[in-house]
Amino acid sequence: MTNLNAVDPAAVAQDAHLEGADVVIGKNTIIFRRFMRNKTAVAGLAIFLALTVFSFVGGYFTQWDKETIDPFNIGMPPSAEHYLGTSQAGIDLYAMTVEGTRISILIGLIVGLVSVLVAAVYGCTMAYFGGKVDKVMLFILEALIMMPALLVVAVATSGGGEGLKRDLPSWLLLIIVLLVFSWMGTARLIRSLSMSLMQRDFVKASQYMGVPARRIVWRHLVPNIGSLLVLDITRGVTGAILAEVAFSFIGIGIKVPDVSLGVLIGGATSQVQTFPWMFWVPLTVMFLLTGSLAMMNDGLRDAFDPSSSSSGSAKKRALKTRVKGNAS
Amino acid sequence: MSSEIAAGRVEQPQSPAERLHVAGLHAPSDAILSVRDLNVRFNTENGIVHAVRGVDFDLMPGKTLGIVGESGSGKSVTSLAIMGLLPTTAEVTGSVRLKGKELLGLSDKAMCEYRGNELAMVFQDPLSSLTPVYTVGTQIIEALTIHNPGMSKQTKEARAVELLAMVGIPSPKERLRAFPHEFSGGMRQRVMIAIAIANNPRVLIADEPTTALDVTIQAQVLEVLHTAQEETGAAVVMITHDLGVVAGMADDIMVMYAGRPVETGAVDDIYYNPRMPYTMGLLGAVPRVDVAEKSSLVPIEGMPPNLIHPPTGCSFAPRCPLASDACLEGEPALAPVPDGPLHLAACIKSGSLGGDVDVLDVFAAPPVPVSRFDAIPREERATVLQLKDVRKHFPLTRGALLKKRIGTVKAVDGLTFDIREGECFSIVGESGSGKTTTLLEIMEFHKDQDGEVVIGGISNKKAADARAKSAMRRELQMVFQDPTGALDPRFTVYEVLAEPLQNAGMEKPAIRKRIMELMKLVGLQPDHVNRFPNQFSGGQRQRIGIARALAVNPKLVVLDEPVSALDVSVQAGVINLLDKLRAELGLSYLLVAHDLSVVRHISNRVAVMYLGKIVEIGEVDRVFDNPRHPYTRALLSAIPVPDPQLERTRERIILQGDLPSPLDAPKGCNFATRCPVFAALPKTKQEKCLTLEPPLLPVTPSPAAQTLAADPLPALDQRFACFFPDGEIDEDMLVVHEAADHHAP
Amino acid sequence: MLRYLAKRGITYVFMIFLTTSAGYFLAVSSLKPALLEQERIPRPTPEQVANSMRLKGLDPDLSPWERYVEWLTAIVTRWDWGRSPNGAFINAEFGDRVWISTRLFLASIVLTLVIGVALGVYSAARQYKFQDRVITSYSYLAYIVPAPIAYFLVQLGAININETVGERIFFVTGISTPGLEPGWAQFIDMLAHYAVPTVAITLVGWGSYQIAQRQYLLDNVNADFVRTARAKGLTRNQAISRHALRVSFIPVAQSIAFTIPAIFAGGFFAEKIFAWPGVGSWSIDAISLQDVNAATATLAYGSVIFALGAILADFATTLVDPRVRVQ
Ligand SMILES: Nc1ncnc2c1ncn2[C@@H]1O[C@H](COP(=O)(O)OP(=O)(O)OP(=O)(O)O)[C@@H](O)[C@H]1O
Ligand code: SF4
Ligand code: SF4
Ligand SMILES: [Mg+2]
Repeated sequence: MTNLNAVDPAAVAQDAHLEGADVVIGKNTIIFRRFMRNKTAVAGLAIFLALTVFSFVGGYFTQWDKETIDPFNIGMPPSAEHYLGTSQAGIDLYAMTVEGTRISILIGLIVGLVSVLVAAVYGCTMAYFGGKVDKVMLFILEALIMMPALLVVAVATSGGGEGLKRDLPSWLLLIIVLLVFSWMGTARLIRSLSMSLMQRDFVKASQYMGVPARRIVWRHLVPNIGSLLVLDITRGVTGAILAEVAFSFIGIGIKVPDVSLGVLIGGATSQVQTFPWMFWVPLTVMFLLTGSLAMMNDGLRDAFDPSSSSSGSAKKRALKTRVKGNAS
Repeated sequence: MSSEIAAGRVEQPQSPAERLHVAGLHAPSDAILSVRDLNVRFNTENGIVHAVRGVDFDLMPGKTLGIVGESGSGKSVTSLAIMGLLPTTAEVTGSVRLKGKELLGLSDKAMCEYRGNELAMVFQDPLSSLTPVYTVGTQIIEALTIHNPGMSKQTKEARAVELLAMVGIPSPKERLRAFPHEFSGGMRQRVMIAIAIANNPRVLIADEPTTALDVTIQAQVLEVLHTAQEETGAAVVMITHDLGVVAGMADDIMVMYAGRPVETGAVDDIYYNPRMPYTMGLLGAVPRVDVAEKSSLVPIEGMPPNLIHPPTGCSFAPRCPLASDACLEGEPALAPVPDGPLHLAACIKSGSLGGDVDVLDVFAAPPVPVSRFDAIPREERATVLQLKDVRKHFPLTRGALLKKRIGTVKAVDGLTFDIREGECFSIVGESGSGKTTTLLEIMEFHKDQDGEVVIGGISNKKAADARAKSAMRRELQMVFQDPTGALDPRFTVYEVLAEPLQNAGMEKPAIRKRIMELMKLVGLQPDHVNRFPNQFSGGQRQRIGIARALAVNPKLVVLDEPVSALDVSVQAGVINLLDKLRAELGLSYLLVAHDLSVVRHISNRVAVMYLGKIVEIGEVDRVFDNPRHPYTRALLSAIPVPDPQLERTRERIILQGDLPSPLDAPKGCNFATRCPVFAALPKTKQEKCLTLEPPLLPVTPSPAAQTLAADPLPALDQRFACFFPDGEIDEDMLVVHEAADHHAP
Repeated sequence: MLRYLAKRGITYVFMIFLTTSAGYFLAVSSLKPALLEQERIPRPTPEQVANSMRLKGLDPDLSPWERYVEWLTAIVTRWDWGRSPNGAFINAEFGDRVWISTRLFLASIVLTLVIGVALGVYSAARQYKFQDRVITSYSYLAYIVPAPIAYFLVQLGAININETVGERIFFVTGISTPGLEPGWAQFIDMLAHYAVPTVAITLVGWGSYQIAQRQYLLDNVNADFVRTARAKGLTRNQAISRHALRVSFIPVAQSIAFTIPAIFAGGFFAEKIFAWPGVGSWSIDAISLQDVNAATATLAYGSVIFALGAILADFATTLVDPRVRVQ
């Protein structure tokens, strides 16, 4: 009464297993597929890319630029000559919008990317060293969070007779200040995430095998917080674009003669009744920009989420970071 | 009818009710709860999961039905379907009748009249099952209020106190105002039971009520359940994956596999005369704590089927050693087996699987491996690990916001032991006794440690520079409890295994070769190296973890609960593998486990820890067969064995309370607060336990044996720390369920 | 608890001191009121300017460090935060403006919280239904609009209403019409001034609370303890409202405590757009007027408010979560 037909149980088990997963797909492929399945996210990506391309090559479709005054068309509504009309100074709005969009995207991308980079380095360092180093770095972090960013933006961009200000265009100055105040939240998040990763068994296993700490950070920590980093980049880009618009809108961000979406929108508020296109055109562009980024962010988060059902529940787990993001 | 069953195939299954009736099972009207053809389907993204497929049973008043099966077999879904607590995405069909009234299809509102009233449930995870922001009293009283709107506040409070007292919570009146987080897991589970029995239910469903608890606490909670059943006369559905837990308390057993009952019958029939290979495998897969057998365990290889694809043949066929082509032609129906109309099995070969069939033959269990070291006396083998008076104390702080140091936790308090070549040494004890801290102290290997750790001749005190450390790391590797958490989800198996080899400075081709060797060694297919951990089952992941630990050819492997996260059937395979590797590679193990059956099965020596100290240590069979320390005796007696008759009559020591907070640790013997011997001692003798710390002394052979022997007998390999090893056990802590107590079916 | 608060308090005082000092150095080295003074007509001589500045304690010839020491001593010994270039005293000015800011934000904060949390609960109960989608989409929309632009749009809307009706129903700027008799007319005037800013701030603000409350509640509706409550005989809705809701408040309470100060300190946009002379608009004006002391004072105010918020968050958590209560 032994094996009637001598089926090797191990082999059967392996076969049974193979049925389930005969195609081995890389993690990145899975994430890419999930992202591409999310229509909203793909639409967001398409809009964002289109705007970026527009901001770089859009200038070639018109003979006007953002400085030349057209004395015959002052404060004119859109026409064949000036696709989007002119300001009351006679400058072509299309040319200004192209330029403004580029500056806004530039600010967003630089601030988004660099601040996440800084945050990752800072956060990982804190988690990795722990102890005293962590305490001091955390103190600095909290002190920076405490500083009302806007005030410092204002002081830095409005200070009288500073060498810094004379040498740098206002958009670059704004980038620097936004950078200084945008990375702390992410750094704190990365710190706590890395700390919990350090507690995970697979990190302990490497430590017990004697793998040097440097290699553990690089091979185990960084890849595992990678999805968070990507999400934070899109969020950071959105945040920076919004901040630029908000600051410039009330006149303390980018200063004329530099152009940005915020400057255009802010400058048009006084004549929104008389020259409505001056206001609504740049505002629409800003909406497309931030909206497309938000759509992408949603799709990415879903693609990264291993437990996501990737349909219907696209709006899960959205807020925790957003609550704070919105307040500033 | 019976000829049809003998042929093994029922072409057109009858209606379930009819089937049971024909089978001579109770007329449905007697049953308090009767379930017919229960089917549950979940609509998921991947397709329809048919989680429960045709469950039938009748539960008689006051009786206990045990439902067993491995993870994912549909036990929880069945119970939630009865309670009407499944999410709305679940599609439930069939019939559930409570005292003849149909429950399926009732609205949420209508079901509320039964839930918590005549039908109550206790859930698996006591830590998350109570609302954290309400006091325990509020939550018990709520259950009373819902079903007794007229009850006065005083009555309800009095009843709540009574309930807490009934489930054995000391000073219940004060405890009403405590929040759940102030209770330990075992106490929270008692509260859950109190809530469940608040309204004297007719049916109590307990879904793995003790899985998350320590053995000693499990014994307490099972005892409470027993009392609750006696007090209320409720019929109980006891769901578990542990065949020991239900052996003593169930009247009937239903074994589930892949959403279906595959064998049902009276408890004795199932345990002593299983007729379905899966049941046989389950019984053979669990090691026994009460016998010193040295046979391999029965591994059930493979994984349960995916419930998305409807099975075409016997759902167990891919893992069944007896599977033949006939098994693949249609799913076998649950049919009576030759020995009795009340014993049913869903296997075409059940007729030939009588009581005399040896499960080891059926499942082709591997032969018991023999290590080359087994023949050498212990004293002559080299020492691979030595601990000398190792201590680890943590400051104890209280308060989540305001950290205030209120004392010291002596997590490890003066440990001394050694491990020789080819030996498996285990540490057992309740959670909180300091087992994991001990392992971490060994792995830490640091100069500033309190106490000396010597690994392969390298001492932490003498050579703790980087070189010595890396040499030490090659001697010693670790396998973790949670096989999933121990593998980086972003690494392929190849990368996982390559990491230690690269670190040891090996060349690429050599690494490749070694990895292939390792895969074979742990019984994995070499061509699976490119897969990610999430593409493996739990047992396979643990094998990967073992392979990684073996990569650099260590002498000693530290195993932290290596099988506790695995299902019984899978556990057996991993234990066999560990056994085999120890013998073939001459490894030594340091094993930490809370499951004493596993410990007895694979270890040579064992140490019992209590509050950071070893209370008994020695050769495993000596300690288990002849425990001297009262704590060891209590631990051993808390373990249920999968033997119904033994379980019913066995006496057990039920310790009172939880592991004490380390702050209350008494001056003399640590164990005095819970010691069953101490409680029965006269005052004069108690004094000694309270003032002196009992030293760890060897068991001396009895004077009679001494005088008989020609030469003085060598000291036995068993030491313990207790002044009164032969003391009487306090009666309150000794429980014997009388056989009459159990209504044999 | 007290000792804990004291400890946290000391840390924060230290932090406030550092941020304020850093702010002072930044301000003192980049803001030059003397330059502005020189653009006056008739143009004063540099000596005249320096003299008038010195009188107000803003001597441009001193080094930043000397001025810092002077400024700090005045605060520590006399609680005197100095003067503006136009001669106004910071202490007095600050008192008025804090009151104005508080009036502007108090109503909006309460409304924001109540509406946000209520809508969060409502939409969680109707997850993926039409109402949920509308409400949640709105909240996401609020997230991608910069606050000042949203305020401006509300302002535009109010102006449009005024124009359609043909009379001035809402004031879109300012805090009151001067010279009204106390009584009914003044009350109506107050409402007309408060309506637009309050609505605007509320409309922008509730989105994040709605999303947070919705998410936390959804995280809890399938929790084990809700199942236990249902097993006792509560219906699903009862179990959710009695058990899940209370637990989901824990994180929300914490974020509320944190955002109240953020609304206060971040009020520049609203004050600027609706022309309310509060602390926020003062800080921006201070910078364009090169007013070192005012800028630093508002910065200190922001830090203090933040610290209060952080301590408040601890308190709030303790209040709703028994697990962190200190015995
Ligand atoms: N809400 C759900 N949606 C989809 N599938 C589910 C759901 N709940 C359970 N299942 C599936 O139903 C099957 C049976 O699950 P069930 O929880 O009853 O197993 P179990 O026997 O209780 O296992 P365990 O011992 O792990 O508790 C599993 O395959 C599970 O994945
Ligand atoms: S029917 Fe066949 S495959 Fe199924 S359990 Fe019986 S012997 Fe095994
Ligand atoms: S020494 Fe006393 S208290 Fe300790 S275990 Fe022995 S009998 Fe019990
Ligand atoms: Mg279960």
